[in-house]
Order: sequence, then structure tokens, then C-alpha cells
Amino acid sequence: MNIFWREIKYYKKGLLFWSLGMALLIWSSMIKYSTFQTAGQSVTDLISKFPQSIQTIFGLTGFDLTKASGFYGVMFMYIALMVTIHAAMLGAGIMSKEERDRTSEFIFVKPVTRNKVITAKIMAGLVGLIAFNVVTLLSSILFINLYSHTLDFINDIYLLMAGLFFMQLIFFFIGTATAAISKKPKLSASIASAVLLVTFILTYLISFNSDLDYLKYLTPFKYFDAKDILAHHSLDIVYMLLSLVIVAVATLVTYVSYNNRDLEV
Amino acid sequence: MKLYFRELKAYRNSTIIWIVSLSLLVIVFLSMFPSFTKDVEETKNILQNLPPFMASAAGISPNVMFSIYGFVSWLLTFVTLAGAVQSMNLGVGILSKEESGKTADFLLTRPISRKSVITSKLLAAFSLILITNIVFCLTTFAMAVVVVDTDFSATTLMLVLGKLFLIQLIFLALGFIVSVIINRVKSAIAVSLPTAFSLFIIGTLGVLLGVDSVKYISPFKLFDSDYIINNNAYDVKFLIGEAIFVLVAVALSYVIYIKKDIKAAS
Repeated sequence: MNIFWREIKYYKKGLLFWSLGMALLIWSSMIKYSTFQTAGQSVTDLISKFPQSIQTIFGLTGFDLTKASGFYGVMFMYIALMVTIHAAMLGAGIMSKEERDRTSEFIFVKPVTRNKVITAKIMAGLVGLIAFNVVTLLSSILFINLYSHTLDFINDIYLLMAGLFFMQLIFFFIGTATAAISKKPKLSASIASAVLLVTFILTYLISFNSDLDYLKYLTPFKYFDAKDILAHHSLDIVYMLLSLVIVAVATLVTYVSYNNRDLEV
Repeated sequence: MKLYFRELKAYRNSTIIWIVSLSLLVIVFLSMFPSFTKDVEETKNILQNLPPFMASAAGISPNVMFSIYGFVSWLLTFVTLAGAVQSMNLGVGILSKEESGKTADFLLTRPISRKSVITSKLLAAFSLILITNIVFCLTTFAMAVVVVDTDFSATTLMLVLGKLFLIQLIFLALGFIVSVIINRVKSAIAVSLPTAFSLFIIGTLGVLLGVDSVKYISPFKLFDSDYIINNNAYDVKFLIGEAIFVLVAVALSYVIYIKKDIKAAS
């Protein structure tokens, strides 16, 4: 339990900055929305006639920007990007920082098993993820309400946040797994960020060229696409299962390799 | 000089990985250029009717978009994001790694001044970025010759590609100054990744929403591709602005680093 509280304390300040950043992002975007509301309606129909590659290249994502839900849908990609960076950095950092700061000797001569240490760290990380998710949810509701005066898609927001949480889990556990495998503590954060960067660019590549559609299983950003969620008002069960499988495998890898590895001292 | 080559060697592998990934990215995207030009013909007419507030995420106007320059500019959105992470990571890491790796007392007890330590390190970082850019430009140019069947101006293409270098330079300088200001950088990537991505999000979202002033905040939008392609030059006032920023950041890094209390390994 001590380790858990210690980690919570360690990441408290960082989380505060992340939350502020998220609130600012949503706030400044929603201010801008109030100016979009008045723009014409016919645009959306026009845009939907374009080939997909053109839509992607111009950042026209098939959302109706005159509606608060469409506007929020465009922002969702960037919100997702922000929370996944947080999750990946948190996952990689929380597992590797003992080795990085040369405190692994200290922690592992305490009367705790490695399993207990891992569990405490993962639990602390999960609390961070949930807190960040809740902050995102609350700032979304607050600022959408403030600037569009209607919250007719509140259920969709809950769904989007659930999708967001799946993405957070995936990248958090990718982070912990790389930290558990990699012998060099600094390398784990780099690998986790490389995964993030590659999957993010892949998302654009797939939207750009529909022949590459089968690659969508490789990038978590496509699992919970705001466009699909807002259109169908539900999360895709296949992707939810796939996410759970990824999370389960990554968790297993974290425990097994961290338990069996010769730690740097 | 020894330190300079030592740093080049230390970053050799990671720089090679960066260069290969950036080149792969440009090869994959440019190989789709021929099929993209086919799509263009179908839609050129409809696009004329686009309302003005529908700005492009890449900040490129429709008629420029369909040329190789426009396509490369769009592609550079991702390349510059990756490049920003690379250079900021390098900038933050190269000075702070002595402290975080507990080798600062070893290095600073050698008979070299702090000034020459920082000079060697800054030069090494700059050289690595320069090499990355040279290889990237050559790859893109070779790829463009292969996929584009009409004539294109090499100068314009190079100017467009030069954006990568200009943006990387800003992030490199930003990395230096951040690493000397923050007392103890534990992990370079934990500083550079959020910074680069936040500025990227601000820039992209800003352009998407039509906030023009975003270019003063996000370096990614500092040099407008439209302007470069139409005028075959960079906007001089932003070039000067960048030069001032970089010089001030580097000068401050010197001043702070030379006087800084660098913690020895305990």
C-alpha cells in the first residue's frame, strides 16, 4: 500500500498540468465553436461527395461542424492523442523509474515481492488514467454546455470517454510492457512513443488510402473512431474485445518479464 | 573535439533509426501520389465551390494542393511532428544526460572548460539534425523524380522540404534552453514528447478552426506552405524571428549552463 500512495504522490503534480492542458484545449476549441454555429449547412453534403483521400488531406473528416457533436467529433482525435501520450509516458515511466533513478536496489530489498510492486504501480497508474479521463469528461460537459447551450449528445460523450479509456489502457500497458522487457530504462519511453507516433501516422495513412483499410486493426486510434460512435451510438464489440486482448497480453508480459528479469542496479 | 565525436557516436544509432523511419514515411506516402492525382481530376471542379472557412488542416489552398509541392507539404505535417520530437529530444537529452546518467562529475573534471563542453555538444546536436535533413531531402527528391511524370522545380521542392530543418532548429534550441532551466531532467522523452505533441495539436486545431494567430504559438505553422510555393521563398519576417529565437535560446543556454550548479553523483 505504501508504494501505491508513494506513486500517487509522485504523479500528482504532473497530472494537474495534464488536466489543465486538457481543460484549456477543450475550452479554447469550444469558444471557437460559437463562431462556427452560424456558418452554412449545405457544406456537409458537398464535402461528402469528395473522394476519401481529398477529405483526409483537407482535414475534412465528415463531421458537421455546425453541430456541437460534429465539432466535438473533430476534436476527439486530438483529445485522444493527448490522453494516449499521457498514458504511454505514465506506463513506461512508472515501471522504469526505479532503474532510471537507481532506486531499484532500495525498493527490492524491502520485504515486498516483485509482484506486489508491479501491482501497486499498475493500480496507481490506473488511478491516474481514470482521474484524467474524468477530468476530460467533466471539462467536455462543462464547456459544451457553456458554448452550445444544448447537451443532446451526452450519451455519446459517455461512450466516447469509454472508448478513450480503452485507448488509455492499451497505451498504458504497452508502456509498462516495454519497460518490463527493456533492460535500458530510457529505452522504454522511446519505444512506447515510437509505437504511439507510428500508430498515429498510420491512422492518417488508412483514411487517405482506403485500400489499406485492413491495417485498421493495427492502430488503436481507429478502434474508437468518433465518427462511428456518433453515428451508431455504440462502441464496436469487436474492437472492445480486441482492446481487452491487447491489454491482457501486455499485462501478462509486464508481470512475467519484470519478474524474471535481472534488474539494473 | 573528442567530446564532439563522442556525442556523434552516442547518438549514431538513434539518428540512423530516425533517418530510416522518416525516409520510409516519405517513400510510402509518395508512392501513393500517382493514385492521388487521379482522385484530384474528379474533384477539382467541386472544390472550387468550397466556402472559404473550410480551411485545410495543412494550411494549403486547393489549387496548390494538387501539385507535388502541395502533396509534400501535407506529408511534411507528419514528418515535422516526428522531426520535432527527434530534435527536441536531442536538445533536451544531450546536455542533461550527464546529470541523469551521473557522469557529470567525470566529464566536468576533465581539463576542458564548460564553454567547450557546451559548444561541442551543441555542435554535435546541430550536425546530427543537419545530416538527418540532408538524407531526408535526397530521399524525397529521388522519390519525387520517380513518381512525378511532369516537370517540377527542384528549388521549390527544396524550399518546401527546408521547413523540416527550420522547425527542427526551433525545437532543438527549445530543447537546449529547457534542459538547462529545468533543474533535473529525469527523462528527455518525457519532456520532449508532450511539448512537441501539444504544440502540434495547438497548431493543427488552430488552423482547422481558422485561428490565424496560431502561427505565433506553434512553430509547426510558422512557415506557411502556400506562401513558400507561391513566392518561391520564405517569409523573411518569420526567418528573422526564428533566427532571433534560436540565437537567444542558445546564448541563454551558454550563460545558464556555465553558471549552473551541476549535481554530482552521490
